[in-house]
Amino acid sequence: MRKSNSEWSGYLFILPWLLGLVLFTVGPMLFSLLLAFSRWDIITGVKSIEWVGLDNFKAIFQDELFYQSLKVTFVFALISVPLYQIFSLIAAMLLNMRTRGMKLFRLIYFMPSVIPAVAVSMMWVMIFNPEYGVLNRALALVGIQGPAWLQDPSYALGALIVMGIWGIGNTIIIYLSGLQGVPEELYEAAELDGAGRFRRFFSITLPMISPTIFFNLIMGIIGGFQYFTQAFVMTNGGPLNSTLFYNLYLYNKAFQDYEMGYASALSWILFVIILVFTLLVIRSSSMWVYYQGDDDKD
Amino acid sequence: MNLATKRFSPAQILSLLILIAGAAVVLVPLLWTFFTSLKTPAEVFKDNFFPAKWLWSNYSDAVQAIPFFNFLLNTLTILVPVLIGTVFSSALCAYGFARFRFKGKKTLFLVLLATMMLPSQVTMIPMFIMFKEAGWVDTFLPLIVPAFFGGGAFNIFLIRQFIRGIPRDLDESAFVDGANRMQIFIRIILPLSMPPLIAVSIFTFMGVWNDFQGPLIYLNSNEKYTLALGLSMFKGLYKVEWNMLMAATILVMLPALIVFFAVQKYFIEGISISSAVKG
Repeated sequence: MRKSNSEWSGYLFILPWLLGLVLFTVGPMLFSLLLAFSRWDIITGVKSIEWVGLDNFKAIFQDELFYQSLKVTFVFALISVPLYQIFSLIAAMLLNMRTRGMKLFRLIYFMPSVIPAVAVSMMWVMIFNPEYGVLNRALALVGIQGPAWLQDPSYALGALIVMGIWGIGNTIIIYLSGLQGVPEELYEAAELDGAGRFRRFFSITLPMISPTIFFNLIMGIIGGFQYFTQAFVMTNGGPLNSTLFYNLYLYNKAFQDYEMGYASALSWILFVIILVFTLLVIRSSSMWVYYQGDDDKD
Repeated sequence: MNLATKRFSPAQILSLLILIAGAAVVLVPLLWTFFTSLKTPAEVFKDNFFPAKWLWSNYSDAVQAIPFFNFLLNTLTILVPVLIGTVFSSALCAYGFARFRFKGKKTLFLVLLATMMLPSQVTMIPMFIMFKEAGWVDTFLPLIVPAFFGGGAFNIFLIRQFIRGIPRDLDESAFVDGANRMQIFIRIILPLSMPPLIAVSIFTFMGVWNDFQGPLIYLNSNEKYTLALGLSMFKGLYKVEWNMLMAATILVMLPALIVFFAVQKYFIEGISISSAVKG
């Protein structure tokens, strides 16, 4: 099967992707880089692109909303990523029990992850309604006067973080499969040696699933920087820009104000931030990620 | 955790209680939404959790208030070609990467992996300008056409990993029998690759059904809206009652939930596979 024409057939089979790479990835990236240093006008379009050097970046670094959106995104990521990881891991460990009914629980926990983000957002807008929403009504039952949630600048971001816990099913499933990959013998041996529950968790479970934690951590950070639908539908960045996520600000600049050059510069800053964070996590991973059978990885 | 003993240990009982509490946290918002969707407008603002009378007519009203079937048709018009394009082109490229030797394959494969890390925001703006210049804005084309060009790096990767596990003897013997590579792909590789192809189809369905930013950027006129986009506009465009809004929300959730329950085995497996492959 390894004749000379095999080489050409190989290219032929991956041709769709190669074309897509040029048309929808590399080409647009180069164009976007050009745009980041240019001014673009919605009416005259491509013909009037004008090179402005570093002007977009200079303007961005003096833009208060840019810093606000960075702050919102970082606060969200720093709180929600560890929070969701802990909740997911606990849920996954409980769901990993070998008793009846676990299948049903898994289905229930995972269900929110398949519901369209728009529908989830609409639902939570009503749940968070200060007067008629089910959340404040439930709080009232135990004598707590709930806040105005999405209408209150000091609670809106917190409300979105709380809402996110509802949709961690995806992460739970990934942890669950990580846990199921831990060899049973390890636990049995540790039990024989007299290791208690907590000891077994910290000495076996945690190191064995560290690659999964690592994967979820990266995905969580990237997810924070791409957070859009919920913020757009539920608060549209408000009140007082307290939920102005980076990606939402980028969208507003590009498709509300049609400042395509400025928005492209924003998108490259986003790219660099995600890259730096991903590399940081990857670099530091050798310190805490344990790969079983590392030698025969290809 | 001995299977033989029927009685639960205290730790297990505690675990079960936590699990039940968690399940309640997941289910109560959904049930509240569902029950509110069946209430009368006045009842929405009262304290009772269940509707006094189940007002199913809210659903027929909601379907008319947002042009539900119009939006559904639009969503399907995008979904079907995207599904076909994604599955075929990603399988084709995966086969190319799994079974052929060519110069630069390693590098190209690394490029493929690298594109998975590229945030879509970087290409979003130039793509919009490109499609605008092509006159494709406010058509479904920008949402459909890219699916035919490789169908997504992650999908190629997933299928390629699977194809590498199919014994090469099968290809070789078909080759000896005079089949060409395309025939081998269609008659041998595709039928054997059903598990990853099903996973890719499910993810693609969910992706299209949930997609919000794409339609938001490219579709301007109301009659072209997808369901996801239409639902969000429902909030702003009309002066609506909560019960109707809830009914519309439930209707948008329903197809995704039905697909989920119908194929949940593949779904959960697919996610486990994909994380195992990526991580």
